[in-house]
Amino acid sequence: MAQPVVQTIHRDPALFWWILLPITVVMVLTGILRHYAMILLQSAPKKQALPQIRQQRSLVRGINLRANANVLSPISFQARKAYMVSAYQEGKFLADPEGRGKPRPNPMSDPAAMEGIMGMMKGNMAMMVPQTLIMGWINAFFSGFVIMKLPFPLTPQFKSMLQSGVGTRDLDVRWVSSLSWYFLTLFGLQPVYNFILGSNNSANQVTQQMGQMNPGAGMMGPEQDPDKLFLNEAENLEVMEHRWILEGVEDRLLAKFAI
Amino acid sequence: MNEERELAINPIVQTSVQHNTQVVSNIRNLTASLFGVAAGTLGLESYPGFIFYLVGTLIVSSLVFALRADGKPAEYFHRPLGDLWGGDVFSGLSSFVLTWTLFYGLVRA
Repeated sequence: MAQPVVQTIHRDPALFWWILLPITVVMVLTGILRHYAMILLQSAPKKQALPQIRQQRSLVRGINLRANANVLSPISFQARKAYMVSAYQEGKFLADPEGRGKPRPNPMSDPAAMEGIMGMMKGNMAMMVPQTLIMGWINAFFSGFVIMKLPFPLTPQFKSMLQSGVGTRDLDVRWVSSLSWYFLTLFGLQPVYNFILGSNNSANQVTQQMGQMNPGAGMMGPEQDPDKLFLNEAENLEVMEHRWILEGVEDRLLAKFAI
Repeated sequence: MNEERELAINPIVQTSVQHNTQVVSNIRNLTASLFGVAAGTLGLESYPGFIFYLVGTLIVSSLVFALRADGKPAEYFHRPLGDLWGGDVFSGLSSFVLTWTLFYGLVRA
């Protein structure tokens, strides 16, 4: 088999100044803009009624007790456990004690739930709209140019995507148009944002997806029945194995200094 | 003494772990971009370029091991093998490809 001829294309150096640089600058600036737009769009947490807060906090208290039980002596842990379990089972902390056992209302009708969904929608919009705009902009302005050569080979399937607007059949896939530079910047600029905006920025879609794992509402989602959560937590506390951290501390201390 | 008990006596503080991860990932991202600049300027293509990146990250890992962790990675990483040597190798790849392509396009092609 003959070695394929290495294709060379002589390109105008002005392509760098008029295509590559503008796209890069626009991408960086969009990321920064998105970061600040997300900060502006974040709705302040709504004020809740006192019984609601008590309901949430008492559940958190049970979880904290479970997480930090090891630093409590057995007596005080037993006392706390007895109190929390009985209070959970009686539904002492419930926001509306009369509503026990009733089916939950449809979450769509609950305004608090709608708030959370709206927040997620806003995040998605702030991500989608600039991407669509920029892709349209690049397609409208910069299609039809070959601007650079990739340093690594690709399979021919990428040809239609990366050489869009270049109507040459035999051109090597490594020659790509401006859209592929857009994709490269889309995936590669996260460290740049990290350096500019600090580590907890919301400039890129990767961090966006991470943020959606725990959308604001916390563990007490409005669609869950608080009574069930309480009973569940009571059960967790009941079955928990408690080991005091100071148990056998004298032996450990002596062993540490014995050498 | 089982592992759970060991963790309770010597707890791992999540904030410190996050800080360590942050420092390491900053180092990795910066060096990956610089490796991309180097590879593009040298005009490496396809496999030599990626091998260059792998060798570079290994060097960075050993530098982190020697300079930042003082040769005792167990004190700074929860799982030294995965977190220092193995896990983060491909996190800087996208920025490497970005700068590699840019400088290759500017210098060579």
